[in-house]
Amino acid sequence: MVKPVSRREFLNLLAAAGGAGAVVKAGAALGIMPADAAASTLDLAAGNGRSAVILGGGISGLATGYELGKAGWDCTILEASHRCGGRIFTVRHGTLIDELGNRQYCEFDDEPHMYFNAGAARIPNTHRTLLNYCKELGVELEIFINENKTCWVQDDAMLGGKPVRNIEYTTHLRGFVAEMMVKAMHETDMDEPFTEKEAEILLGMIRSFGDLSEDDVYRGSLNAGFDSGGFLSQGVQKDVIAFRDLLKTPFAMRLLSTNEGETGPILLQARGGMDQITEGFLRQVGDRVSYRAMVASIQVRDDGVDVAYDQDGARRQIRADYCFNCIPTHLVTGFEHNFPADYVRALKHVLRGEAYKAAFQAKERFWEKQDIYGGISWMNNRSQQIWYPVAGIHRQKGVILAAYDYGGGMYHTRMTQQERVEAHLADGENVHADYRNLVEKPVTVGWHRMNHMLGCSARWRRSFREGWTGETEQHYRTLQAPVNGRHYMIGDQISMRSAWMESALLSAHWAMADLDRRLRNAPA
Amino acid sequence: MIRLALICLLCIPSLASAAEREPFDDRYCTTCHGTDGRGNEGVQAPRLAGMEPWYLKRQLENYRDGIRGAHPDDIEGLAMQPMAAMLTDESIQDIIEWVGGWNYVPAEHTISGDLDAGRALYQPCATCHGADAEGNEALGAPALAGQNDWYMVTQLRNFLAGYRGVHPRDVYGAQMRVMTTGLSGENDINNVVAYINSLSD
Ligand SMILES: Cc1cc2nc3c(=O)[nH]c(=O)nc-3n(C[C@H](O)[C@H](O)[C@H](O)COP(=O)(O)OP(=O)(O)OC[C@H]3O[C@@H](n4cnc5c(N)ncnc54)[C@H](O)[C@@H]3O)c2cc1C
Repeated sequence: MVKPVSRREFLNLLAAAGGAGAVVKAGAALGIMPADAAASTLDLAAGNGRSAVILGGGISGLATGYELGKAGWDCTILEASHRCGGRIFTVRHGTLIDELGNRQYCEFDDEPHMYFNAGAARIPNTHRTLLNYCKELGVELEIFINENKTCWVQDDAMLGGKPVRNIEYTTHLRGFVAEMMVKAMHETDMDEPFTEKEAEILLGMIRSFGDLSEDDVYRGSLNAGFDSGGFLSQGVQKDVIAFRDLLKTPFAMRLLSTNEGETGPILLQARGGMDQITEGFLRQVGDRVSYRAMVASIQVRDDGVDVAYDQDGARRQIRADYCFNCIPTHLVTGFEHNFPADYVRALKHVLRGEAYKAAFQAKERFWEKQDIYGGISWMNNRSQQIWYPVAGIHRQKGVILAAYDYGGGMYHTRMTQQERVEAHLADGENVHADYRNLVEKPVTVGWHRMNHMLGCSARWRRSFREGWTGETEQHYRTLQAPVNGRHYMIGDQISMRSAWMESALLSAHWAMADLDRRLRNAPA
Repeated sequence: MIRLALICLLCIPSLASAAEREPFDDRYCTTCHGTDGRGNEGVQAPRLAGMEPWYLKRQLENYRDGIRGAHPDDIEGLAMQPMAAMLTDESIQDIIEWVGGWNYVPAEHTISGDLDAGRALYQPCATCHGADAEGNEALGAPALAGQNDWYMVTQLRNFLAGYRGVHPRDVYGAQMRVMTTGLSGENDINNVVAYINSLSD
């Protein structure tokens, strides 16, 4: 049982807040104008006929081919799959979803707005290197809507499972929290620790945070949306949901901050599907890619790298001066190779992620009839999220994300296709009553079983409090450094922030810059 | 020479649009099991190269028929099961031929333990698997020497925990399960596997 916070404890907290400024590093850069944000860019020395073989056509491999190509290198990209992009994967009419044991062909209608980003889907506005490439490669971007407060929040434990609007839920939550804070403040000696002016502003902030009535009680708010009216007649406020009921769901701990951190700033997406980023690179390096070319062996020599790969039923060989490798570490461990022992230990140290996504084609855009345009509904069940598309507003149909398990995706991954689909229908029905009849043509993607991927994002073992442990960081540095100066592992797996395209690009930039520096410094 | 048979495990769904569909590739085995089926610790997929054809056949059939890889805690088995579910008798034969073309590369040793303790623990195993862990087809016991040691550890754990060898039709698995009751805990498992490792040194 959790003890309710006593008035005294609350006051102590508040008093302590007066000293908080002392521990927070404040105003370190006061008076300095913020500099423009800079993307990572490269200025590579001319290739002079040097060659590189790039293993894997993930975004980091493609960017490497593009950059080295610009500098005049002779590049070859070997890609095991029928497509490039790896974890940038847009599913649309006819797409082959090559999941081991659950192969699917997508049956969505053949229209530009009918697509599903089964892998990467969001670009934070601070991911400058990626945004810079989008600009350079002519990839059209549009705004992605992550938080939409008109979307639903549903938990079987709250209000008998009745979904409520995110805006209702969060408005009420803030109201009650603010009421508690103000009550506590009225009883505190406001001279200490705040000045009168500070106290006035603080009270005002709390009142508006919670939209309190004049007597500092929370009685509901029009911020939660109108029950009726509002334009030609008086707006009628919605009923308040009791504080106790709001606290029946763990969403209380999350919903006020879903739009913060990495998903907080403005998010963007490539118009027409995230694979337009891959296409942008392929317009530049497409002729350098060899498809269905599955790497089997990597031998690092003193004067180059020998790579063997299987293609068209034969084993082929290629030799290049240097090698950049974005193939997932857990697949590289299965190759024939001559890597040093500490490198192999490091490759094996990285664990593989388990993300899972699913989508439906909706026969009609039923969410728009509920004032929903883009955004996410949150469900406290295993399917977790429903995403509504920005693409194709007011058209007849649309594609919605029906489940996103980004943590432990194995729950659905282990199911058969039929079981997965039934689970998402049953979960979604809690939010949209007629869901089962409104959606069709499911696709599911268990990244743990996707051919040539077998995982989502690299999981580096780390401690929650201390971050990277010494051992982990050691392995990371080992993998970041080239083998014999010739073979570089790249991709978001070789970064301290896996699961982002930006990390994949920055890791490739790091490797190219490192090689460039060594080549420039080498005696002629 | 390596032969890469492009075997058709499952025919392309016979839909009208089949012709325009992206063709898929059936060389799935090596995605998990590594180059020429050498085994891949990164995804916990064991070595197939050098595996006896009769044992490979039995395991593929067991997976296909839900005799193996059905327990919810048999994590690796659960990944294999849907792959085998699409196999026909014919495609199993194709796979066996494909695997037969791979060069056997001795598995890397990743586990160490007390060899004396392991030797003692191995004695009952030797009855079926042979003194040198070379296997015995007549008794239905596969070779253990040269198999990935981490895989043997997982399988011994699975037998002990009842994730494997509990299906009523898994006759050999049931025998194996009885035998593993002689192992008490992780130490014993490590020691016996370390001893099996020493047989292929
Ligand atoms: C569900 C999900 C959601 C995500 N959401 C976001 C997001 O919103 N925003 C964001 O920025 N990022 C997101 N990411 C992460 C992003 O997709 C990745 O960080 C990025 O795409 C990784 O690129 P990469 O270059 O490391 O290579 P990968 O994409 O991992 O590509 C590796 C390539 O190697 C190939 N390959 C494998 N084996 C072989 C072989 N034997 N021979 C030759 N080639 C081989 C593969 O086919 C693949 O093309 C998400 C990822 C997932 C899975």
